Amino acid sequence: MQLQWPPTVTVNPQHGDADDLMPVVYNELRRLAAGYLRRERPGQTLQATALVHEAYLRLAGAGRPWTDRNHFLGIAARSMRQILVDRARARGAQKRWGGMARVSLTDSLVSGVNDDAMLPALDEALSRLEELDPEQARIVELRYFAGLSVEEAAGALGMSSATLKRRWALARAWLFRELSDQR
Amino acid sequence: MRPADRWRQVRDLFERALEQEPADIAAWLDREGVVDRQIRSELLSLLDHHKSAGSFLVEPAADRLPDLMADDRPLEPGQIVGPYSIVREIGRGGMGRVYLATDRRLGRLVALKALAPELTVDPSYRDRLRREARADAALTHPGICTIYALEEIDGDLFIAAEFVDGRTLREEIGGDRRPAAADVVRTARDLADALAHAHSHGITHRDLKPENVMRTKDGRLKILDFGLARIDTAAGATADPLAVHLATGSRPRESIEGHVTQPGAIIGTPAYMAPEQLNGQRADARADVFAFGVLLYEFASGTHPFDAPTPLALVARILESETTPIDRWRPDLPSSLVDVIDRCLRKLPAGRFASAGDIVHALDRIDPARAFGRVATWWRTHQLAVIALYFVACALTWQIKEWRPGITTAIFVATGIAATVSGVFRGHLLFTERVTGTGLAAERRRATTVTLVFDLLVALALAADGAILISLRPLAAVLTIALGVGIALARLVVEPATTAATFRQ
Repeated sequence: MQLQWPPTVTVNPQHGDADDLMPVVYNELRRLAAGYLRRERPGQTLQATALVHEAYLRLAGAGRPWTDRNHFLGIAARSMRQILVDRARARGAQKRWGGMARVSLTDSLVSGVNDDAMLPALDEALSRLEELDPEQARIVELRYFAGLSVEEAAGALGMSSATLKRRWALARAWLFRELSDQR
Repeated sequence: MRPADRWRQVRDLFERALEQEPADIAAWLDREGVVDRQIRSELLSLLDHHKSAGSFLVEPAADRLPDLMADDRPLEPGQIVGPYSIVREIGRGGMGRVYLATDRRLGRLVALKALAPELTVDPSYRDRLRREARADAALTHPGICTIYALEEIDGDLFIAAEFVDGRTLREEIGGDRRPAAADVVRTARDLADALAHAHSHGITHRDLKPENVMRTKDGRLKILDFGLARIDTAAGATADPLAVHLATGSRPRESIEGHVTQPGAIIGTPAYMAPEQLNGQRADARADVFAFGVLLYEFASGTHPFDAPTPLALVARILESETTPIDRWRPDLPSSLVDVIDRCLRKLPAGRFASAGDIVHALDRIDPARAFGRVATWWRTHQLAVIALYFVACALTWQIKEWRPGITTAIFVATGIAATVSGVFRGHLLFTERVTGTGLAAERRRATTVTLVFDLLVALALAADGAILISLRPLAAVLTIALGVGIALARLVVEPATTAATFRQ
């Protein structure tokens, strides 16, 4: 994904308020969505676009300043995490989800686990991981919630792809253990 | 050691272990000089979970969460959307939320349907939506909710339509009271009329169900969402019936409202779908005819004709089982309406009416004697009573002619002729209503003037006779005049009332 930052739009100094920046942000988010679209999974792209759309609305409403593209990606990814988790919570997903330990932890069954129901528990585990190591949480947000590729996420966090891959593996292992132990 | 330091050490070891992939982790840790037992067990545990984590979190969230984003963000009261000002949310329909809004340009209330963004991102889909809305906006019929505009505001699509204030047939079906036979017939007629108008313009509804039919406060029926349902499936992608019942299986409440998450897959109730729709075949006006049959059956009996405990069983019943004949529930329904419903519910499209226009014709032949029950009894009694009064009038004028010959002879002859003509017409109406049942409305229209003129003639003749007789036999004279006044009042006041009550004019 070729992300442009700063975007090729210069802010008019007379109207340099947040409103003028929003379309730029929106375009950037659209490019995030394009990351999903590129994977060409029919039927799912629409969800990704809707997610980006709502992230835009939230960012537009928050009026939080960001310093550069990587900072922005971090905020957007966090916003997407909040949106997805909020929606899962709103549906009472937590109640239905009995933890992963109930099913056998083989690959095939894990992939069949209902992510929707898992999200609130994942969010809590992620908050615990964040206390331990904030960077780990950033990686999960960029990769899992914003759908960035290894290279994109590595670029956003200013580390090599190889390092990101290993730390992403660590985050997944840590979270997987947290969720497996839940009952 | 502080937890943060311990974590950093674990992290570094984890990374190096992934890099070097040692065969024997314990030996490797020894070589690395890691002696802290906590760190060793933590690392082993994490490496173990790394191996078993499989595809955990590998696919991005939005790819894995099929419908978490399907809901749009509700608009708040007072919010301004283009030329519209939101008043409140009034429902969640087939394609998104529906709001009551004010069109600030014209100051009128509209129903503003916000199309869920996931439905409208695809440009080709948007185009089709535009074309459909244009076609449907051409439908103007009192029984069809009018579409005012398709608005594109900040990239979102909205459909502005007539705001219909009332309640849905679903609410009426949910009530305790079942409608009278005459109400069922009237509802069938109104619905078929509106549907026939659309069918004659080549537009089918495809999602006709009690939720989509409203009765306004003054009793008129309006079909909502005309033609829009078809857009969901028209992309050549026919609805997959399995998707339909799987989706409804887990969320029965939502299935009543019905909603669409992706074009091509209706996630809604299969309860009003024709067998061919459920089989994924092309559906035409005859699918509407089937839905019409299901709807009327449910409206009349309060029971769905294919009622089943689960959506899957319901689909199976639609495809395979015959229904309990509606007259088992409602023996008071006119037999021709029973036949109409029965024919609408045939499994094969070819067995049904070709379009709603044919339903209208069939309903025109409804046998009013059974349709209108007790109200009709009043109307018939009235006709018989008036005919009896004609005999009394003739007998009376004959008697007066005997008592006081002269002009009274002419009055007797005039009364006799007028009473005969009027009587024949009334008898013919009774015959039409009881026996043939067709063209009653036309016959009534024809008879209206005749009975009016000749009844008033009889009344006038009686009044004249009464005046002539008043000095000779006052009591008989007063009775004669009273009879005349009675016949006139019966024609001018009573008959219009009983007729209107019976035939809902």
